[in-house]
Amino acid sequence: MSTYIYGITAGSHPSLPDGIDGVGEPAQKVRIVKEGELAAVVSDAPEGLRPKRRDLLAHQNVLQEAGAGGTVLPMRFGSLAPDDETVANVLAERVDHYQERLRTLAGRVEYNVKATHNEEAVLHLVMAESPEIRAAAEANRRADGGSYDDRIKLGEMVAAAVQAREAEDSEVLRQNLEPVAEAVSPGPESTGWLANLSFLISGDDAARFLETVEQIRTSHPHLEVRVNGPLPPYSFVEPGPAEPVRAARE
Amino acid sequence: MTVVPAQQQQSGGGGSSGLYDVLELILDRGLVIDAFVRVSLVGIEILKIDVRVVVASVDTYLRFAEACNRLDLEAGPRKQPGLPDLVGEITESGAKGKSKGALSGAAETVSGAFREARGEKEEQGEARPRARKSTAARRKEEEE
Repeated sequence: MSTYIYGITAGSHPSLPDGIDGVGEPAQKVRIVKEGELAAVVSDAPEGLRPKRRDLLAHQNVLQEAGAGGTVLPMRFGSLAPDDETVANVLAERVDHYQERLRTLAGRVEYNVKATHNEEAVLHLVMAESPEIRAAAEANRRADGGSYDDRIKLGEMVAAAVQAREAEDSEVLRQNLEPVAEAVSPGPESTGWLANLSFLISGDDAARFLETVEQIRTSHPHLEVRVNGPLPPYSFVEPGPAEPVRAARE
Repeated sequence: MTVVPAQQQQSGGGGSSGLYDVLELILDRGLVIDAFVRVSLVGIEILKIDVRVVVASVDTYLRFAEACNRLDLEAGPRKQPGLPDLVGEITESGAKGKSKGALSGAAETVSGAFREARGEKEEQGEARPRARKSTAARRKEEEE
């Protein structure tokens, strides 16, 4: 029976989620593998584990529960060890590294921010800003929609303007939120958002961070901003490629 | 105490869209330890929404031209979030009807979303939300 690993935390963590439901159907019970100063949150690995919805939820849920009581280094979904002993050996071998990560991330959570344009609102915006686009749209409207070429021409102008707004608005988000955060990590790419950013936020700054998001929503009503958090610091367990967590390698 | 609007609204939205918003983090981020193996993710299509950033294409141009012809500039930008089709795209089964307000200020906390999701009737099958073929295929290659 192999062992499924959810995350790594300090052995002194006050409320480890021992006994709650983990991955699998029926759910495997979560247990704790302690080794020295560290503890791993694990369960038996179900046979034929696949990234199913319920399992992804279970993984996230176990980490959420564990993270509520103390800092946890979240594993990526689907990490398996042959047995508990292997897990304990890894903890023993790399105790310094994980302790350093736990100290660095103590009291910090991840907030993921994604944004898209409200299409109608952004179209209003680019039309309001561009006399050329307004003129072309007006001409087309008078000509019963305009010829194919006229429509393509208008659409091209609009698309270019909207794309410029996407880049601009992505910067707006980053520049306004970065000062409240300790680190920022771009989310996985090609997910179709004009911005997809994860921020590492100290617990004390969470309210300020959310207020800043709120201000951006108010000042940029054409933006649809989705915030997910607090999350386990998925994007910050290892010094990220874009912006390493400060003090990570000191 | 400062009131955080997000905390008030999280229970209303949530549903499983919270999961889809963080799916990529659960699958693509997080600690990887070389001494452990990872389950195969072959076949999983992580990406769940149609790409809604502007893609330069004739289709896009025509759609925009059409939209501009329909727009009533006098009305001003809408204050309410979400054209219906956008909301439809990002709303999964658990979050019916709640166009959780991009503009109205709900930060979805995942714990809230998950509490709800656990109460839902279990959905069967792989986590395979809507995905754009090319993106999914690309992703699949990466995962292999």
